[in-house]
Amino acid sequence: MRNNSLLPVASLQFVLALAASPALADDPDLDRLLASQCAQCHGTDGRAVGEIDSLAGKSFSGLFGDTREMKDKDPNDIMHRQARGYSDDQLRRIAEYFSMLPEKEKEKKPEEH
Amino acid sequence: MSNHTRRNFLKVAGATAAVAAAPSIVRAQSAARIVVVGGGFAGATLAKYLSLWSGGTLDVVLVDKRSSHVSCVMSNLVLNGSLGLRDLRFRYDALKARDGVQVLRDNVVELDGRAARVRLKDSGWLDYDRLVLAPGIRFDRVPGWNAAAVPHAWIAGTQTTNLRDQLRAMPDNGTFVMTVPKSPYRCPPGPYERACLVADQLGERSGAIRGDGARNGIPKVVVLDANPGIQAERETFTRAFEDLYGDIIRYHPNATLEAVDSENRVAITSIGDFQGDVLNVIPTHKAAKVVARAGLTDGGRWAPVDALTYESLVPGFPGVHVIGDSQASGQPKSGHMANAQAKVCADAILRRLAGRPVDGPERAANITTNSACFSPITFEKASWLTAVYAYDPESKAMKLVPGSLGEAEDWNKDNFETMFAWSDNLFADTFG
Repeated sequence: MRNNSLLPVASLQFVLALAASPALADDPDLDRLLASQCAQCHGTDGRAVGEIDSLAGKSFSGLFGDTREMKDKDPNDIMHRQARGYSDDQLRRIAEYFSMLPEKEKEKKPEEH
Repeated sequence: MSNHTRRNFLKVAGATAAVAAAPSIVRAQSAARIVVVGGGFAGATLAKYLSLWSGGTLDVVLVDKRSSHVSCVMSNLVLNGSLGLRDLRFRYDALKARDGVQVLRDNVVELDGRAARVRLKDSGWLDYDRLVLAPGIRFDRVPGWNAAAVPHAWIAGTQTTNLRDQLRAMPDNGTFVMTVPKSPYRCPPGPYERACLVADQLGERSGAIRGDGARNGIPKVVVLDANPGIQAERETFTRAFEDLYGDIIRYHPNATLEAVDSENRVAITSIGDFQGDVLNVIPTHKAAKVVARAGLTDGGRWAPVDALTYESLVPGFPGVHVIGDSQASGQPKSGHMANAQAKVCADAILRRLAGRPVDGPERAANITTNSACFSPITFEKASWLTAVYAYDPESKAMKLVPGSLGEAEDWNKDNFETMFAWSDNLFADTFG
């Protein structure tokens, strides 16, 4: 797949997203990989420690709505900048992935230790 | 392709006491073995995510020469006493508790790419189905440089406390000289951040910052940058150097370090000789020895890899990946980025082992990594920088996504507080 140097990368990703039928999502590992890039700040599986927001178990509409909106907001905020790094389809995938995770990690049964 | 007929047991070179004490590396016949060399941000994250995403069904062996990792991230705060080394030391307890993961304290001395095995100093030959090298950096030789007398503190640990102690002992109105390596180096904002914190520290001690007319004379922080300009957060650091610390910091670009007089703490550079009460030399970097000696740098400084999988682009090394500071794929070098790369690599390894494609158009279009970090500018205020990278199939490297690169408009206490939340999550995601 050639990357047309006249198109900014984000646009190319948007075009691919249209072509790729995101609703099919036949490769859930991709969503997992995309979402894993949030863990550096938001914690493994989106369960943050300390003051940063957790993402696991939050509503899809909340997560996607917020990040989509950030792309148009004043860039003087780390997340507003980060959001600009992803296509709408990627933000959708990431939001979908986190919304399906339980808020808290499942407690291990005693015999699993 | 994975080969499930590899030897199951670790071959040991001899029956020394150390070897007898080492855990036997036993695995189920069907479990693929991944050997990870280096337990820093890249290696530790990789081992964790391989276990997590495989449901603990892989045999992951992490090898590091130390029993813990001291984070360079946040280590400039050790220099001004805000943090102790203990706050930044991470043992491998959480990793060891994960299914399928073993941690070996040993040193990799040889890589046999054709036979798919590495030789460890104490434990002997270790077969792998996939190998991931994440050993970090080493420094160029600099004539006359003695790193004990003139610390780099760019690999954290005793180097950091050495520099901290030297700073504590120097006169309040003294001179601190530091050299900045030629790009690319680990942590682009790091050296400038260090200059700010030292200027802040000396400025407070001497009274220079409060503008009392400096009781004992104004201290000097001399920054000798091998690059033509500030390499990260240019606006932030230009303002910090020229305004906030204008009386203290002297910034010199295009200063190539040629030699060091370690005894007298003199940096000998292309633009002159500079002596300090404390001299901090950070030489230009290259990939750690194990990567270079194996032939993975192809004669250059860094290991070229395909950022789709982090597999080596040098022929003759099937199943070998390089992540973190040692590799080159268009990304800045940092712990945060190393963690990000590890996840892409883990995903690629799982696909390779399962015989699933790594280079389909959908995957190639969704390979991203990001950089985010906070830089303390004073003892209580910080700035930040951030960027997102996306895979470019033509160059096989990561390219900056337009609009995603940014730095904070100012340094403040809120950012300083968020800095700790960020680093706590990064540490937990990597070592927890």
